[in-house]
Amino acid sequence: MTERGARTAGLLTSQAILKAHHRREALKTALVHGALILACAVCVYPLLRILAVSLRPGDRIISTDLSIIPQGATMVSYARVFAETHFLFWLWNSLVITVATSLVGVALASTAAYAFSRFKFPGQRLGLSLLLGTQMLPAGMLILPLFLMIMRLKLMNTYLGMVIAYSVSSLPFSIWILKGYFDTIPRSLEEAALVDGTSVFGAFYRIVLPLSTPALAIAFLFNFTQAWNEYLVARVILTDSYKYTWTLGLFDLQGQYLTQWGMFAAASLLVTIPVMAVFLYSSKWLLTGMTLGGVKG
Amino acid sequence: MRAALVVVAAASLAVSCRMAGQDEAGDRTIVVWEQEDAQVFPYIDSVFEAFKKLPGNEDVRVIRNHYGTEDLRQQFLTASIAGSPPDLLMSPSDTAGIYSIAGFIMPVEGAFDLSKYNRPVVEAITLDGHAWGVPLTNGNHLMMMYNKRLSPTPPQTTDELFEFCRNRAKALKLDACMAFNLGEPFWLMPWIGAFGGWPIDNKTPTLDTKPMRDAVAFTVDLIHDKKFVPMECEYNCTDALFKEGKVAFIINGDWAISTYRDKFGKDFGVARIPKLSATGRWPTPMVSGRYFMLNSRLSGQKLELVKRFVEFYTNEENQIGQVKALMRLPALTEAAKSKVIMDDPILRASMEQILAGKPMPMATEMRAVWDSVRPHLGRAINKKATPAEAVAKMQSEAVSKIKEMAD
Amino acid sequence: MLAPVLQVLQFALLIAAAVAVLEGWLHYHFTRWEKSWFLPAGVLGTVTLVMAGAAASAGGLVDPGRMLSLGMGTAAAECLVALFFKHVVRGRHSLPIMLLAPAALGLGLLIAYPLVFEVYLAFHDLKLTTIMAWSRTGELPFVGLKHFKKVFTSSPLSEVSFWQLFLRTVWWTFINVFFHVAGGFVMALLLNSVTRGKGLYRMLLIVPWAMPQVVAVLAMRGEFHSQYGFVNVMLAKLAAWLPFLGDLGVGPVQWLGQHPFLTCTIINVWLGIPFMAVVILGGLQSISRHYYDAASLDGASAFQQFRMITLPLIRPVLAPAVTLGTVWTFNNINVIYLVTGQAGGTEDADILVSALYKAAFAFYRYSYSAAFALIVFLILFTFSMVWLKWSKGTESHYD
Repeated sequence: MTERGARTAGLLTSQAILKAHHRREALKTALVHGALILACAVCVYPLLRILAVSLRPGDRIISTDLSIIPQGATMVSYARVFAETHFLFWLWNSLVITVATSLVGVALASTAAYAFSRFKFPGQRLGLSLLLGTQMLPAGMLILPLFLMIMRLKLMNTYLGMVIAYSVSSLPFSIWILKGYFDTIPRSLEEAALVDGTSVFGAFYRIVLPLSTPALAIAFLFNFTQAWNEYLVARVILTDSYKYTWTLGLFDLQGQYLTQWGMFAAASLLVTIPVMAVFLYSSKWLLTGMTLGGVKG
Repeated sequence: MRAALVVVAAASLAVSCRMAGQDEAGDRTIVVWEQEDAQVFPYIDSVFEAFKKLPGNEDVRVIRNHYGTEDLRQQFLTASIAGSPPDLLMSPSDTAGIYSIAGFIMPVEGAFDLSKYNRPVVEAITLDGHAWGVPLTNGNHLMMMYNKRLSPTPPQTTDELFEFCRNRAKALKLDACMAFNLGEPFWLMPWIGAFGGWPIDNKTPTLDTKPMRDAVAFTVDLIHDKKFVPMECEYNCTDALFKEGKVAFIINGDWAISTYRDKFGKDFGVARIPKLSATGRWPTPMVSGRYFMLNSRLSGQKLELVKRFVEFYTNEENQIGQVKALMRLPALTEAAKSKVIMDDPILRASMEQILAGKPMPMATEMRAVWDSVRPHLGRAINKKATPAEAVAKMQSEAVSKIKEMAD
Repeated sequence: MLAPVLQVLQFALLIAAAVAVLEGWLHYHFTRWEKSWFLPAGVLGTVTLVMAGAAASAGGLVDPGRMLSLGMGTAAAECLVALFFKHVVRGRHSLPIMLLAPAALGLGLLIAYPLVFEVYLAFHDLKLTTIMAWSRTGELPFVGLKHFKKVFTSSPLSEVSFWQLFLRTVWWTFINVFFHVAGGFVMALLLNSVTRGKGLYRMLLIVPWAMPQVVAVLAMRGEFHSQYGFVNVMLAKLAAWLPFLGDLGVGPVQWLGQHPFLTCTIINVWLGIPFMAVVILGGLQSISRHYYDAASLDGASAFQQFRMITLPLIRPVLAPAVTLGTVWTFNNINVIYLVTGQAGGTEDADILVSALYKAAFAFYRYSYSAAFALIVFLILFTFSMVWLKWSKGTESHYD
């Protein structure tokens, strides 16, 4: 931004105008940072309140006290999460299922999206519309049939059943978003590669995918958060408490009236950490413009 | 390429064969689904372990699965439809009506001697002439709990209570006087009784009545005019106010006793909900308990095993152990007379409150009552409807919901 | 330590094997259709695969009678499929179909079965009193369109009719999606324009999306509490500090009791913005800087640049997100249920699906619920077909 400002200003000769411009740019940057800090505060504040609940003695989710570090703050809830529950088991199960789901989901979606983006075949439009249609049945309605089907396929209490259910249910979004992104990549690039003797799959793998990292990152993040935080399907498929994902485990702490809010909050914060880490890591991919700008337009 | 495919396919078949072989559940496995609070798990598991240590039970496995209240209901129905229900449910009585109509649980009066248990607790699980569960606790009832630092003795009547709220509470600078979770119909029930009514008569809702109207008006008055009960204060809020010492009184259920006692120690007191001065009657909280319900597909040796298990869990020794560990009152008449209860002022007060209560209706029609009362009580509290309008709506809605249920 | 790793390997292998078998099967049908032995070999191979699969999933315990009928059925089906490939497909479109096949199979399995099941339920009568008979015999009385009629003539709620609910749902969807996209744009553009602290901002801004939704909603609900919530505490302080604001009516509000719909909307908007922001941020990466440089040299204002460059070029990525976001919002009950589903429940914030859950599901009217869900499905489907036609969402850039 400053660079561009400087270049525009370079066309003008007056020193004063240049200075005024700099000042305006600085003000603009300050405003942008101010707005971002405010937005961050709004986003993070409830998380801090949960932190307060986790540190508060005596299992209260609501308090008349607004301070973040409550009186008599204690880490007891954190210790109890590890000591009294199978928290690490749950985390491991969630992690395996989530990572597998994300990989399978993105792999299936990217090939399917490529087919939608690059080929003409009968039923193409209909296929895309049907993808959208799959998202339209209220989720709760699918529970009874899903249960019956999972039983018949003998997938109760298996990672496999979970991964299939999760990766498939995230497919429509992943396919759509990837197809949209693939559409912005000019075909001339692949055509050139095909002329050079690359196979179709090679062109897809070596040219289209590397140029699509932002969309792949979005699809991956979507799959990851969906699978990580999912509850309804897990409730149906998993009945063995050693196979529980953390969402199921966490709700073990919730009774009809009595809920162990301290542990509940502590566990909620702990499970947010992996997601944040994945976001932090993937943002590198999310923001790689690559050489795309150079070849377009 | 082709060869590789064959290898992969063969490997996957081998793997899936192994996986399918794993989940063979033997006939000596008892699956129990519960919706208890997490702090109760250690106690339950300890009784399960004790059962497995009995002679002849070396090969028995007991699997406990936890569900939330709504989840338990939905998952049990789903699993029953699919033909793979758990053997036992550990649950309050309110859902038993649904299961019994659907035919998913079996009547237990033939298999167990129910005369050993307190009569009201058995009554609360009886529908159409059959008992649908074996009681393991008696209670699940509301009572008044108070903070002795703020009020050394409990008020006996609502007049005394209001007197406290007008004067002492102001002097102590309390946020509110009493934390009554009045938006929830369950908390309204004691007052309906105190005004001389009850929400249901056998299977017919009786909501558009003078006692109902009075009870709703009483609630609105406490919140809006007297301002003794804080606005928009649902369960977690009332609980927090009480724990923080910002109210002197809370009406809460027996499930909360052990937490409060841990927190306040000697300063924690339990009493009957004060007598309603306007009518001179005591409020009547709903009383039920927790029950074992047996899935209707059980038969033969498995049924025998499950029966032995339930009998063990509810024997006198374990009933008294339960009182000590969980502060929950026993359903077994013999155990209710034990010294543990008589010597403990809190448990004694809780027992007195039970005796003043009424069995919680088990009919499925009650579900329509709960669901009709809740929204209109909310409208009355928010002054979007008068008490008279609200109760009229409750009644008509409950009637139409019951009609829809059968339709 | 080894056991879990083996477990993971095992099921990775299983998925890979399933995909390989499917692709191999398709490959055969696409490339060998001219061969004279195509049909018999295909039938033989397919039947072997299906029988082996069935035997494996039954754990080696096979009932010969069932296996025989399964084999016959498969053989007949494969005959038809093979003839179709031989005479109609004739090896065309092999590549896109093979690319799509695994995804299509998964979706078909997971979505088609439940959909068919729901349609069956909607036309039959499954309720509390018929459940037992059904789970014993598998048969239900057929009732035709009865449940569909009931959806329109009776409302699942007491105070709000079906059509009012419908309008409220449309309004809810519109306002939420609008603020998600607008907020997402602002956030993404802000993020894209800073150079310092980018990573930190990004990590903090996605917190509402990264947090378990139930926890996030419950925490936000607490902030709107009329006495102890942050929002009202701040409003009270604001009114005390600047009395003229108080005169204008600024002050604590009974959010949950008096304005449940507004409260739900605010919370849902807060929850949904980060997701849109990430999608838009990804989309912005596909736009070359050169466009903006050229435009600013031509003297285009920032707004003009946004309208003429950013919006059209981000469309391929944004359109699917908006379309799906609309569908999700239309069907989203989490926030409404968690905020108003508890004590003192109100109907003032309910939308179609939340009403369905609260009222119909509580009474085990499975068939009525199924009919209701199908109607919601049809409304959405019609709407999105119109929208797709209008926005050309399914069309590629290069058509």
